[in-house]
Amino acid sequence: MEHGSVTDSTASSFSIMEEDHTLANSVRFVLNQDPRVAFCGYSIPHPADNKVNIRVQTTGDSAKDVLKDSLQDLMVMCQHVRGTFDTAVSDFRQNKTAEGMDIDLNKKK
Amino acid sequence: MDSQQPEPVSYLCGDCGAENTLKPGDVIQCRECGYRILYKKRTRRIVQYEAR
Amino acid sequence: MPKKGTKSTKGTDDEPQQQQNKLPDHLELQRTRVICKAGAPTHTEGFQYSGAYAAMGVDTSVSVDKFCMNFKVEVKRLTEDDMEFDMIGVDASIANAFRRILIAEVPTMAIEKVFMVDNTSVIADEVLSHRLGLIPLDADPRLFDYMSENDVPNERNTIVYKLHVSCQKGSPRLTVKSGQLEWLPEGSQLNMAAPAQSGNKQKTYTSFSQSQKDISKESLGVKFKDITIARLGPGQAIELEAHAVKGIGKVHAKWSPVATAWYKMLPEVVLLKEIKDDDAEKLVKKCPVNVFDIEDLGNGEKRAVVTKPRSCTLCRECVMGPSEEQVRLTRVRDHFIFTIESTGALPPEVLFTEAVKILEEKCERVISELS
Repeated sequence: MEHGSVTDSTASSFSIMEEDHTLANSVRFVLNQDPRVAFCGYSIPHPADNKVNIRVQTTGDSAKDVLKDSLQDLMVMCQHVRGTFDTAVSDFRQNKTAEGMDIDLNKKK
Repeated sequence: MDSQQPEPVSYLCGDCGAENTLKPGDVIQCRECGYRILYKKRTRRIVQYEAR
Repeated sequence: MPKKGTKSTKGTDDEPQQQQNKLPDHLELQRTRVICKAGAPTHTEGFQYSGAYAAMGVDTSVSVDKFCMNFKVEVKRLTEDDMEFDMIGVDASIANAFRRILIAEVPTMAIEKVFMVDNTSVIADEVLSHRLGLIPLDADPRLFDYMSENDVPNERNTIVYKLHVSCQKGSPRLTVKSGQLEWLPEGSQLNMAAPAQSGNKQKTYTSFSQSQKDISKESLGVKFKDITIARLGPGQAIELEAHAVKGIGKVHAKWSPVATAWYKMLPEVVLLKEIKDDDAEKLVKKCPVNVFDIEDLGNGEKRAVVTKPRSCTLCRECVMGPSEEQVRLTRVRDHFIFTIESTGALPPEVLFTEAVKILEEKCERVISELS
């Protein structure tokens, strides 16, 4: 849900249901990195309501587009994290088996 | 729906734990040891619980 | 004319590659480290936004490309049940998001409905049901679907277990362990109220169209077989059927797939001055986790060195009192030591991958809501 002005699309508040600090803080971080953003922040109006408000004010672009781009960026970052993590785990496992084989060789000697 | 409940209900003696079947109007007494406190058995109906 | 405050000693026209100016050291320290003084930590907020040091001509924002270039993962320990790994180059908000998702939003299977046929033990029905719900099950939740209120329990969304134990009269007390929960791959065996209506088909509490053995190759038992569920005296018996469904930790903690998951920032311990002899001994003794050690410098002199900064627990013993100026405790803001302890349904590396996937799904959901 977007609450913004009809005339000015550079500043609006987005009310997202069923979300909490998990997504909102991450999106706020990514939004801050975007040079088009003049101001961004999030708040949780009441902890019992499962709702979060994200405020975005830009330097000229539409706030909705900037938010969408940030979410896309966050998705790309997540995919990269997953890829790097999987590589790291398989490398670790390979090194472990390599060490195991070396130890066996030493034992044989 | 039998108002007189002819189905005999079994109760457990408080002392010796023996099963006693009683009909309405019977003396409330264990048939084996004479103890006068009898407990009703747990229902056979399936009760559902939420594991929370 | 150079702007006031910029450190642009090297002209940008001389070296076109060096576009970024560097921050002065003290600002770089503030930007990348949380400084932990004896009282309270300082500079805990991040300065990572695109305009933070714009006046100095330094761009500290982290674009997606920069992130992808600098991000590193180093696995330190990986066993079947837990893992410890380092995530370098990520911000606290994202690391926290992963931690929150691991604890509350990665789905698992856990017992939800308990059909009590007979319970003459001293443990009350609801207490027994609660205990059953908390038992970790060895079932991969990715093979199952969620079950909503209107759904019929079938082989795709329910796992059925049976527990039927009794203690004979005259026998000693019996302990009922979780290993005695029996998996029923063909579905419920309890008949519902009405007796057999049409021919031989008896209505049970579930409608399995095929055996679960086809869905899961491994047996879907409990993960730990030695958890005490109840104790039975002579003459007592428990007969029940339990249905396990998929759920997330947010709804009830029994569905949390991790014993817990946590992170800490990489501790950095720096000795600001040379600490010798007696002071060195005192410092080494102060630290409860042996971060410091003595180094012999030949001619009887001893010096304190930092050997294991990673095990620092930030107890601040070394910065209390007179040694406050000798040691500087900091935490590296973008280096996280993540530890994940799984309860067993999924191995820890799979849990982390699932958590990242869930964050991606959340972003997608919001993007589609906005469009």
